[in-house]
Amino acid sequence: MRETKPYLDPYLAGAGIGLVLLSAYVLVGRGLGASGAFSSVVASGTAAVLGTAQAATSPAAAPYLAAGITSPLRDWLVLELVGVTLGGFVSAWLAGRTRTAIEHGPHIGSGQRMYAAVGGGVLMGFGAKLARGCTSGQALTGGALLSAGSWVFIATCFAAGYALAPVARRLWR
Amino acid sequence: MTAPLSETGVLGPLGVLLAAPLIGFAFGWFLERGGLGSARKLAGQFYLADLTVFKVLFSALLTAMLGAFWLDRLGLLDLSLVYLPETFVLPQALGGALFGAGFLVAGLCPGTSCVAAAAGRIDGVGVMGGMLLGIAAFNGVFNWISGFYESTPLGAVTLTDLAGVSRGVGVAVVTAVALAGFAIVTRIERARG
Amino acid sequence: MSRVHSTLVIAAAILGLAAAGQDLRTGAAATKLTSEIDAAGGYISAPDLADRIVRGDSGLRVLDLRSRAEYDQLHIAGASHIAFEDLAHAVPEDATVVLYADGGSAAARAWMLLHTRGHRRVLVLREGLYEWIGRVLEPRLASDATAAERAAFARAAETSRFFGGIPLTGVPRADVATGYWTGIDRSGHQPAGMSKRAIASIRRRGC
Repeated sequence: MRETKPYLDPYLAGAGIGLVLLSAYVLVGRGLGASGAFSSVVASGTAAVLGTAQAATSPAAAPYLAAGITSPLRDWLVLELVGVTLGGFVSAWLAGRTRTAIEHGPHIGSGQRMYAAVGGGVLMGFGAKLARGCTSGQALTGGALLSAGSWVFIATCFAAGYALAPVARRLWR
Repeated sequence: MTAPLSETGVLGPLGVLLAAPLIGFAFGWFLERGGLGSARKLAGQFYLADLTVFKVLFSALLTAMLGAFWLDRLGLLDLSLVYLPETFVLPQALGGALFGAGFLVAGLCPGTSCVAAAAGRIDGVGVMGGMLLGIAAFNGVFNWISGFYESTPLGAVTLTDLAGVSRGVGVAVVTAVALAGFAIVTRIERARG
Repeated sequence: MSRVHSTLVIAAAILGLAAAGQDLRTGAAATKLTSEIDAAGGYISAPDLADRIVRGDSGLRVLDLRSRAEYDQLHIAGASHIAFEDLAHAVPEDATVVLYADGGSAAARAWMLLHTRGHRRVLVLREGLYEWIGRVLEPRLASDATAAERAAFARAAETSRFFGGIPLTGVPRADVATGYWTGIDRSGHQPAGMSKRAIASIRRRGC
């Protein structure tokens, strides 16, 4: 039985993330993000299927072509998210927390969990596009800069989560 | 002003791209260390069972906010050159609500889904797949909702711009709110035992 | 852990409280770029160029005359980069060429060069990339706009979306471009913001 390290104190982990975010402001004049990277992948997928000439007509690919990004590897957010994945892996591995599993609440099975995971992902993908970001990009990055829309996002995101929690209880408790 | 380094010429386009995975690595590291790679832990916040998310999110926000403000004030960072997201009130309000609902059901957000998947959690991969579908769906209906999508724009504004107060006052208020939040969370946890 | 927590809380409280009496320093002002060119029908406006790109005009070649680094940071969709020195031999005579830079003299000089070498279908984007940003990517509608302005904006907004830009509504009248920048006459005023900062911001947009 592999010994797993305990989690880091959440306030320290948060301070660490805050310093990482601050370093992003200082180094590259922008913050963190995640949903934008997924958007970029969809855009290049669309371009691959439709061809780059046709892709410009798709609102999916247009913002990336406008910013001169022609491949996901040139997109800052995609490279950042690759880093996030690697960092998560190395941390988990060193802490003995890597294992292939489907994490789910005590009263549902793995299959139901997977449906919930994908379904929740669909809602988040749509919501993040409407809101121009997710918890990393809007709540964290925009929130720290006191962006008005980011704080609107924080408010409605957590209000919705808490309000709907009783409905989703069976998934988790 | 010496920073952002990408805007003062110190860091070129290649340096900017190289910085991305390094910054991301550190982000992913701390997310996993804080336990945010676990869907049960993240979903637990909505049942007041595990308030790790609140603690991590707001201490990160507080650290970055105070750091950015004071670096600017000391003349080391020009905040006006840091990208500030544009505000679109209604789309972001609705988007936030949809996102929150999805977050509750999925138990992971876009960034943490990658961390979970990296640690072997298949449900994390499911969330990532769902996100791609959700984004594709959005793109598919974009032409019908583009009016709403661009409605209620306020430009790149801050809460302090709207309230007509100085940035410093906003920083002080958010600090107070965050610290009060931490105090409340501590009390909730003590009550739970 | 408790002592570490207390230290962090006290530090945050002090920094937060001290912030209340302070404000940020202000950033540098944007610079306005103008260019003069012989009006031999050598100009194309950004909206006209946008229409031709949207229509898929196959004989069109858009060339960016700025530095490679600037081109990589942001360029007009479908444009290629070309160094001034390569203009003489790299441009096919039968193509319709659109040249742009950053609104300075580079595009004008390039037009002169190609014109004297016999190229007859050479056009210049007068205010360069800034015109592309201001008139195509981010068209602005004043909050007190007239019906005619709204109609024009509706068309501009549709084009803007095609290129992944953001049409801006509810803009204070003072921040809306006048004259040339709206297609009415050759003089005009360009609001601050159409500058390197604007380009960098578009480049970093997204989270």
